Amino acid sequence: MDEFNDSEIARLLRLKRYEQPPPAYFENFLHEFQRRQRNELLRQPLWRICLERAHAFMLRLDVPSLASYPAAVTAVLVCGAIISLKIYQQPETPHVALQSPPALSAPASAEGEWSLASPVAAQFLRTQPVRSFHESAQTHRAAPPRYVLDSVPVSYEPTFRF
Amino acid sequence: MSPLSDSKRRVLVLALIFCSGGGLLFAQEQSATANKDQAKETFLRAVAQSEAATGISQCVKEIFARAAKAVVKIHGVDEHSEICGTGFFVDPAGTLYTAYTVGGEAGNFTIEFGGKKYPARQLLADIRSGTAILKIDQATPTLPIGKSEELEVATPVVAVGYPLDLPETPNFGMVAGFDRKYLGRYFSTTHLRLNLPTQRGEAGAPLLNMKGEVVGIVVSSLENNSSCYAVPIEAAEKIRSDFVRFGEARHGWVGINVSEAAQPVEGSRAEMTQIMDETPAARSGIKSGDILLQVGRKKVTQPEDVLDASFFITAGETVPITVMRGNQKLTFHVQATLHPASRTGPLVASPGTNQAIPLSLGSEVPRTP
Repeated sequence: MDEFNDSEIARLLRLKRYEQPPPAYFENFLHEFQRRQRNELLRQPLWRICLERAHAFMLRLDVPSLASYPAAVTAVLVCGAIISLKIYQQPETPHVALQSPPALSAPASAEGEWSLASPVAAQFLRTQPVRSFHESAQTHRAAPPRYVLDSVPVSYEPTFRF
Repeated sequence: MSPLSDSKRRVLVLALIFCSGGGLLFAQEQSATANKDQAKETFLRAVAQSEAATGISQCVKEIFARAAKAVVKIHGVDEHSEICGTGFFVDPAGTLYTAYTVGGEAGNFTIEFGGKKYPARQLLADIRSGTAILKIDQATPTLPIGKSEELEVATPVVAVGYPLDLPETPNFGMVAGFDRKYLGRYFSTTHLRLNLPTQRGEAGAPLLNMKGEVVGIVVSSLENNSSCYAVPIEAAEKIRSDFVRFGEARHGWVGINVSEAAQPVEGSRAEMTQIMDETPAARSGIKSGDILLQVGRKKVTQPEDVLDASFFITAGETVPITVMRGNQKLTFHVQATLHPASRTGPLVASPGTNQAIPLSLGSEVPRTP
């Protein structure tokens, strides 16, 4: 400021008094300002932007005053419990796939006959429900349909008997 | 002979040249005329063939346009997966025929017809004929029933089916033969072998003669799907007739085993080699060693004829059996009983579950009246 005295400044102001921006300058001003601001912001790496925003968020909530050792321990325990519950509750799909096929071949009327067999076999059959057509429809809904035209006729006669 | 003068010789040579030239021209013209006639004949033959092909094409188009309305796509579910096949209506109350492989052992049937889907129930499934009868509760168009007996080898036929997931499709071919045996196995009745390309999904498709009448039901394919087998419509009609009368298929049985005789007797080589105990044949007086001449209206000349003759016997009815015993022609009236293969009970649909359930839970013994 020392370089310019008042008269110099006044002269420069007089010089600029009649200068005006182009007609559409102020229409696009806000958009252009935000674009440049965004460009400036994005020059930083992403992790730094996130860190800055998190930092600003924490400062706004005043987290440091709330933080304590018991709170941190509790949070860790809760997270651990949730994760362990999710892991142990996943279904054991391989066992289901292995057990289901024999049940499909067991006829409904065969239960009585199988009750005389070994206890293991009987228990196994009883625990598996015989699949109905409704269940089949649901089970195979995703499977492609079978278009029927066999290569061998279904009927034949063993000998010339009548 | 005085030698000719030069002028005369010259004239003679010129005359010879003229005559030979004329002869050549005449021969050429005759040849051209013959070629022209031949070309004309070839052209006319080509036109006639083209007209015939156009006529056949037009005929197939008309049959397809008429028949396609009564041909339906059948969806069902068996214990393996969803299945798709073809069927066709045979009465206006919604009764339809299909192949046993489509409608025999599945359930939860749905019929695609007229752009809509309708639930269907199984009325009857008969593995011996290879057919099944389903029904929807809807007024439907029908296909007229023809006579497969009128077919001959090389008779043109049309089938209309639903191949794969495609819309209704006409197939054109011809009768290739009438087979009683395939790959060492005897059919229960003569099957129509057709040189007619079929695809998966077309089991149960109607086989139509060139009048648009049903003469068979497509039941299986042969190698490369270029040929197929169809059950004669009379076999399916016999089963439907049984169902209408008795509520079940009643294949007849008299208890006779037939083999080929060493010598033909009265034109027949079908010798009765075994009369089974406690059967209608044993009770009627037919003896082993008799030569079979006729069963009902069907004449028998060889053991294979027994298949067609016996297929149309209905349990409970009396069938005349003519035999030759020594020099004596005898006719026995035998009341047929139920065929041992017909062990399953009659299948009648339950509207609630849309699945077939046995009409009677008892044994098969009291079925014969």
